[in-house]
Amino acid sequence: MIMNRREIIVGGASAAALLGATGVRAQQPSEVVIGAVYQMSGASAQVGVDAQHAFDTALDVINNSYDLDLPLAKNAGLAGLNGAKVRVVIADHQGDPQKGRAEAERLITREKVAALIGSYQSAVAVTISQTAERYQVPFLSADNSSPSLNRQGLKFYFRPGAHDEMFSKAMFDFFDALKQKSRKIETLALFHEDTIFGTDSANAQQKLADERGYKIVTNIKYRANSPSLTAEVQQLKSVDADVLMPSSYTTDGILLVKTMGELGYRPKAMVAQDAGFSEKALYDAVGDKIEGVISRASFSLDLAAKRPSVAKINEMYKSRSGKDLNDLTSREFMGLLVLADGIDRAKSTDGEKIREALAATDIPGERTIMPWKRVKFGPDGQNLDADPVLLQWVGGKFVTIFPASAAIAEAKWPMNA
Amino acid sequence: MMGTQELHDRRTTASSSEPERLERGAEHSGSLTAFARGRRRELAVAAVAAIVIALLPLGIHDVYLQNVLVLTLMYAALSQSWNILGGYCGQISLGHAIYFGIGAYTSTLLYTHAGLTPWFGMLMGGTLAALVALGLGYPFFRLRGHYFTIATIVVAETGLLLVLNWDFAGGAEGIQIPYGPDSWAHLQFARDKLPYIYFALGLAVLAWLVTFAIEDSKWGYWWRAVKDNAEAAESLGVVVFRSKMAAAALSAFFTAIAGSFYAAFVSYIDPDSVMGFQLSLLIALPAVLGGIGTLWGPALGALVLIPLTELTRSYFGGSGSGVDLIIYGVLIMVIALARPEGLMSLFGRRRKSRRGP
Amino acid sequence: MTLQGLAQILASGLLMGLIYALIAAGLSLIFGLMDVVNFAHGEFLMLAMYATFGIVVATALDPVLAAPLVVGAMFVLGAFVYFAVIRHAMRAKANIGMVQVFATFGLGITIRGLAQHVFTPDYRSIQTSFLAGRTLDLGGVFLPLPQLFGGLLSCLSFVALYFIIRRTDFGRALEATREDAGAVALVGIDKNRVFALGWGLGAALVGIAGSVMAIFYYIHPDVGTPFALIAYVTVALGGFGSIFGALAAGLLVGIVEAISATILSPSMKAVGIYLIYLVVVFMRPRGLFGNL
Repeated sequence: MIMNRREIIVGGASAAALLGATGVRAQQPSEVVIGAVYQMSGASAQVGVDAQHAFDTALDVINNSYDLDLPLAKNAGLAGLNGAKVRVVIADHQGDPQKGRAEAERLITREKVAALIGSYQSAVAVTISQTAERYQVPFLSADNSSPSLNRQGLKFYFRPGAHDEMFSKAMFDFFDALKQKSRKIETLALFHEDTIFGTDSANAQQKLADERGYKIVTNIKYRANSPSLTAEVQQLKSVDADVLMPSSYTTDGILLVKTMGELGYRPKAMVAQDAGFSEKALYDAVGDKIEGVISRASFSLDLAAKRPSVAKINEMYKSRSGKDLNDLTSREFMGLLVLADGIDRAKSTDGEKIREALAATDIPGERTIMPWKRVKFGPDGQNLDADPVLLQWVGGKFVTIFPASAAIAEAKWPMNA
Repeated sequence: MMGTQELHDRRTTASSSEPERLERGAEHSGSLTAFARGRRRELAVAAVAAIVIALLPLGIHDVYLQNVLVLTLMYAALSQSWNILGGYCGQISLGHAIYFGIGAYTSTLLYTHAGLTPWFGMLMGGTLAALVALGLGYPFFRLRGHYFTIATIVVAETGLLLVLNWDFAGGAEGIQIPYGPDSWAHLQFARDKLPYIYFALGLAVLAWLVTFAIEDSKWGYWWRAVKDNAEAAESLGVVVFRSKMAAAALSAFFTAIAGSFYAAFVSYIDPDSVMGFQLSLLIALPAVLGGIGTLWGPALGALVLIPLTELTRSYFGGSGSGVDLIIYGVLIMVIALARPEGLMSLFGRRRKSRRGP
Repeated sequence: MTLQGLAQILASGLLMGLIYALIAAGLSLIFGLMDVVNFAHGEFLMLAMYATFGIVVATALDPVLAAPLVVGAMFVLGAFVYFAVIRHAMRAKANIGMVQVFATFGLGITIRGLAQHVFTPDYRSIQTSFLAGRTLDLGGVFLPLPQLFGGLLSCLSFVALYFIIRRTDFGRALEATREDAGAVALVGIDKNRVFALGWGLGAALVGIAGSVMAIFYYIHPDVGTPFALIAYVTVALGGFGSIFGALAAGLLVGIVEAISATILSPSMKAVGIYLIYLVVVFMRPRGLFGNL
């Protein structure tokens, strides 16, 4: 009796799970639960809602049979666990590290999740990753880009995507390549918000600029969600650097571009650190004003030519969300596949076993929807083969322009040319 | 006109022991008066409540519920501290996050940079916060009503921006408390919530006892007199000013201790989560909803509010549809409108009618 | 910094200041009338922006033409909020200030939740205004037309407010009610009606601001929050209850913000506003133009 009650609490959800549990206690669960911690209310709630669609798409691929060259696509459910289905429970961290921690703890102890995935905001990823470590449950950091995260010395932390230093490095590689074609790039203007994301990004860019001999003529740190960016844009305009490098979320990104337009500032070139500049909402609002803007990304729809699964997955995602996959949602989709693949190979929902399986992950790039060379984690849980790409916004869509191996077009440079 | 009206209302609704207190002032009798009996009853209730809460975690093994209990106790302690200044002195601060932040940052910086135990850091943080409160109190207490409140908001926001741009303290990245073995000396426990529950309970009890002592002190008497009567304020001017400064310092001290506790509990702090405006509101909210300027209001408010916000987030937050916000907002509105004197007034009435005949 | 750059910063600050003043005016009016600080003011602004967006999407009207509809709708909303919420908060016998603060604070959260529920948390913006993206170039100093239009509306609103308060029966009733709500009942003025009109007017003012801002700003459920904080400081700086204090303080805040973003760091620009507030209230504890 007591046993049964515990089962109810543990199972916590679908009737199917209950039936499975009250029957013969199988060695292996009929359902594997993964906890996703995202912001579902407040300023960045849209990211959480989009992530939910990305996870639903990934679950569709995992739990049903598709003829796609992706991990777990062919058969329905996890073969390693007798075809167990995967379910995702979403929790709301509201952008608050304390709540992220509490929700991670709740998912681990109550929902008995086998692993965690999250979390967009880097500050929240800090507390989730620490909680995961304490409970020996793997945390897959799908879309956090702060380089400090994999430097915490945690064993249960895994990040298949790139971090800001890797992204910034791609930008400077691109600048170097342009310089070799004798384009003039000497001065840079950094424009970044005062959050972890913004400061990490700017620090990485500052460091790379110093190493490679670019001059940063202004480094503007602004308050996120400011009512006005006029004075900031005025400063950018007065230095008029060869490249403007913003690290901003959607709201500030929209305001930045609008204000630039109002003050008659047309930057020679803009190379953005993703975030807002990969969001459809920003291009819906101001796309026409920044024709030729370049953003780093983990993903490009152009890959469809080389990896057929990209188009199919994008179609599946679009039918749910009404949007194309972007930099974040592609990483969320792929992150869940990588995580489920680890659980499948672990043949267990035990945290330590999943950790071992994840650490042994080796998925070739062709079996992902990403431009990555492969998924293979270093000892700090970082995938060093997650090659980023640079995309340019041309004629109302993104075109891959860098690196040469992924590019389908030459970069238009400067952007107003 | 307004003054006597308020005085009348306070007698009938706000604080149930008010008439007895006045009675005692008139009688000057040393024997066990009704007032003293009332106070002894409050103490007994508090002792029982504390013991029940202390026994609770022995029955509740669910980590999530234990977490809710820690937060409830922490906000009870915070709001109780806020109530000393906001409720009893009538100085509505919506900037208490600055003291919370001072506590969190002082103990964490001392721990991560100098290896000093958070117990020491906590006292340093509390002292620093008290000094800041004294420094601010001097010019601020000249301001009235909303001008004072907005000044407290403005100062806390300035503090937030300074810390955000302070690289030594981690700036926006915040500070992580390194992950180590369980230890009372370092206030670090990987999975165990019991130590945090007992610490938070201790803090809440301490804040309650301080409030309890103040209620019956000459400070408490002056503050009530000043709130009810402008003429009394004139004649008591200087002593009241000094006692309010002391109240501000006390309030800041306990708020900072709770901040240090939060840092140890979450083992990560960043400016927005320990110094934001939202936090200032959350510190004041339990006292206001429970009963501002009452002994039990903050605890009662926290007891209702914190579990409710946690549970609505956990059960409705995952949908992204804003339902958790709607429930939370409507709840605050309904309590504020239906029980303007706070949830404590529910009890006041019952007790009164029991005593009536 | 060039002279041109300085002129640009001052001009932009001034235009932004007029918008701040317009947002603050509604808050100040309500406060002056009945000593209530509306903590849902930012959410009113947000609703006005969504209302503009909605009308533009549904009717393809230019947002400039949609503005009167939005202002009307906001007036109704303000009056409704008075009857549904504030009137009950006024009944509180004790602790009235905090009851209002937290009743409106709860209202704000509810409105944000509803907005997220109804409009989804996606970011919106309006593309179609004939003002959008146009800029007046005065010898290198750029004045964007939407903001110029907003500034103009702001000035007109203050002129209109002046006449409403000084020259109409409603204005006199407003003044009388704020002086002594008990006595006006004796001369047959319905206190509730005056208060509801006051709330309607306050919300309508923020509606003007919202319908202009919808042209040059993004729209989403949290958009009002940063403006609300600035509006509180602006109202207190100008002196609670003083409409023209709000105007002066709004301009001051706009300019101080633009200047401190330039001389302090941009991430610290709000500190400039905060310091000005503290300096002013330490010298004048009732703000620049506060009476009583």
